[in-house]
Amino acid sequence: MIFLFIIVPLLLASLLPLLGKISRRFLPDLLANAAMLFLLVLSVLYAKPLIANGGIIQQAFWFGAPLNIRLLLDGFSLFMLFTISLISFAITLYSINYMEHYGAKANYYALLLVMIAGMNGLVLTSDLFNIYLFLEVAAVASYALVAFGQGPDELEASFKYLMLSAVASAFILIAIAIIFGLTGGVSFGTVAHGLNTLNIKYVVGFCSGLFLMGFGLKAAIVPFHSWLPDAHPSAPAPISAMLSGVLIKVSGVYAMMRIFLNVFGLTPALTTVLTVLGIVSIFVGALAALGQNDIKRMLAYSSISQIGYVVLGLGIGTPLGILGGLFHLFNHALFKSLLFLNAGAVEQSTGTRSLDKMGGLAKRMPLTAATSAIGSLSIAGVPPLNGFWSKLLIIIALVQAKMIVLAVLAVLGSVVTLWYYLVLQHQAFFGNLNENWKAVKEAPFWMSAATVLLALLCIVTGLAFPFVIHSWLQPAADVLGKGVGVAMNFIGF
Amino acid sequence: MHLFLMIGLVAFSILAVLSRDLLKSAISLAVASVFLALIFFEMNAVYAGVFEVSVVAGLITVLFITAIALTRSDGDVVESKLHRLIFPLFFAALAVIDLLVMRKLMGRIPAMVSPESGTFGQVLWNQRTFDLVGQIGVIFAGVLAVLALFRQGKSPAGDAPHTGDAALTGRQPKGDQHE
Amino acid sequence: MNNLWILNMGFVALLIGTGIYCLLAMKNTVKLLIGIEIIAKGVTLALISSGYARNNIMLAQSLAITVIVVDVAVIATALAIIININRHTKSLDVGKLTRLKG
Repeated sequence: MIFLFIIVPLLLASLLPLLGKISRRFLPDLLANAAMLFLLVLSVLYAKPLIANGGIIQQAFWFGAPLNIRLLLDGFSLFMLFTISLISFAITLYSINYMEHYGAKANYYALLLVMIAGMNGLVLTSDLFNIYLFLEVAAVASYALVAFGQGPDELEASFKYLMLSAVASAFILIAIAIIFGLTGGVSFGTVAHGLNTLNIKYVVGFCSGLFLMGFGLKAAIVPFHSWLPDAHPSAPAPISAMLSGVLIKVSGVYAMMRIFLNVFGLTPALTTVLTVLGIVSIFVGALAALGQNDIKRMLAYSSISQIGYVVLGLGIGTPLGILGGLFHLFNHALFKSLLFLNAGAVEQSTGTRSLDKMGGLAKRMPLTAATSAIGSLSIAGVPPLNGFWSKLLIIIALVQAKMIVLAVLAVLGSVVTLWYYLVLQHQAFFGNLNENWKAVKEAPFWMSAATVLLALLCIVTGLAFPFVIHSWLQPAADVLGKGVGVAMNFIGF
Repeated sequence: MHLFLMIGLVAFSILAVLSRDLLKSAISLAVASVFLALIFFEMNAVYAGVFEVSVVAGLITVLFITAIALTRSDGDVVESKLHRLIFPLFFAALAVIDLLVMRKLMGRIPAMVSPESGTFGQVLWNQRTFDLVGQIGVIFAGVLAVLALFRQGKSPAGDAPHTGDAALTGRQPKGDQHE
Repeated sequence: MNNLWILNMGFVALLIGTGIYCLLAMKNTVKLLIGIEIIAKGVTLALISSGYARNNIMLAQSLAITVIVVDVAVIATALAIIININRHTKSLDVGKLTRLKG
């Protein structure tokens, strides 16, 4: 049952601190990876056929007794579940080697599992307040994970992240409280029906603004992005990949889009705001990434830029735009995680994150260089890799919606992206081998396995994109395209 | 009565912000919590009121005081007295805008029929069961976070953790006694 | 009933404004957390008063209690981070947190 997506990580997280006392490394590694693989398989084999005829609402059971938990599983939820499970599995594989020098592996896996449980809970619920609650579960876990190394940089980054994130959550809650006051309920159905019958445009607009500020900060959209360039580089590499690759999408983009498209309904004002914020994010992120010397900071600014593409695509509101936005969301999860994991491998081998200190690492770390090259080419939008197709869809959708200026700007943004990724590849991997790195070794087995897996997926998704779109993305896009109708069906449960 | 409690709540919150001594701030915050709990009682939210007093005025205040005690040092940061000048201006401006907006909204918000609800136990256990799962999750996250952040690390950045931990273990029992 | 709701929301706005001022203007990290707490009070007041206005006080109480639980977890984590920072910089000054720039 779908409830397993939340229960399995939570249960394992509760057991891990005890198990960690018995077996410091082997048992936590094994169990965490097995759980993630299980969830991944579950999402593909069990959950996907369930929604063959449209979204379902499934009641949860606990040892046979029915609980009053009704979980929503439709195209959009399933798509996010699959993305979360896939990236989490790669992250836990990678962590087997990487987290050795941090110590406390059991605690780390436990926090990671709680974060995953929170994200899964967020996408499976049909209730505004639950979205806030599970968002906080994932957020609290992420605060601790960013600060996991206990070094001064990490602590400072985590503190700033915590402060800004807490304010964002407060904004979200105020909006929920106002909506509760207007409609008398907090579930999607009650709210959608209520807002439909009332006629209080300005107050709903105010709540939309609050949601935009709150979820916009979680998604690191400009101008709410300032926490990300500090938090993502300081965190351990698998956590950076998790945050950039999944968390900002689930707690920011998913929540925002679910509420705006399925509960409130997409108004022209929202479209304008979202597309403008998207374009601004693309440029601020890209231009800031150009000047970076720290490899992970460059990747962090790049995340801001690419999320701009996702918001741009989803904000247009047309079926093609939504499709492009969702496809780019999936692709970015793949290649950004890949790039962060590789940056972690480089940092572990050379001890530095400064690009100007690196050079010619391809000779000593060929596998890392190759997978990193694939990741860079994908994110820059080089055909036939996956990034090209998703960006193309977004640009075509912009042209179709007569937003020619934005389309041109989006193409320009892509050119800048290509530029700074070429810089990254050249400075880190190609060129002459820096004297200091004569003796570095390739990344350990599991780390390479994780990055190879992600790189292969980038290639496969790019080559087989019609299949990916038809099978996974179209159901999700359909759900969003149906608009408020989806929420209206939830009344009475 | 209601108005008096609200004003009390806001007044003590302002006091908590403007106090230059951290301990006085924490105590003002606790008093503000008591006012808030009374407001809850007045609105028939009995369970929320009890929870507010025991958790926010109790547990969180203890956490704050523990943290203040653990981080007491000679180079304490004291806020400037300028805030006593700036804040009233800010607050006055805020209050004026607030009043104007509220006046405009009065009577414009239509009423909506709302569903009947059961007893508190029914609502919490039956309707909001998923909330309970979330609460368990967030408690796990908090506990694991504190465990992770206070562990004895192997990391080279851990300078003099022993003195810090000695202070922690030395003070913990006192914290428990306060509860 | 609705006018009472609007009045309560007015006070909520005052509380949140005070909390935001605290976050923007204060230099002590523990003070910043007190600002977060004040904002949390405003939010719980908003939830309860919305529930009161809609005659659904039980639902509002469940929500408010959950918010308080979340708040405890966040404050505990934040204090843990502050205590750890204090070990490194021996101070509670936010101005000292300037290692990360650009």
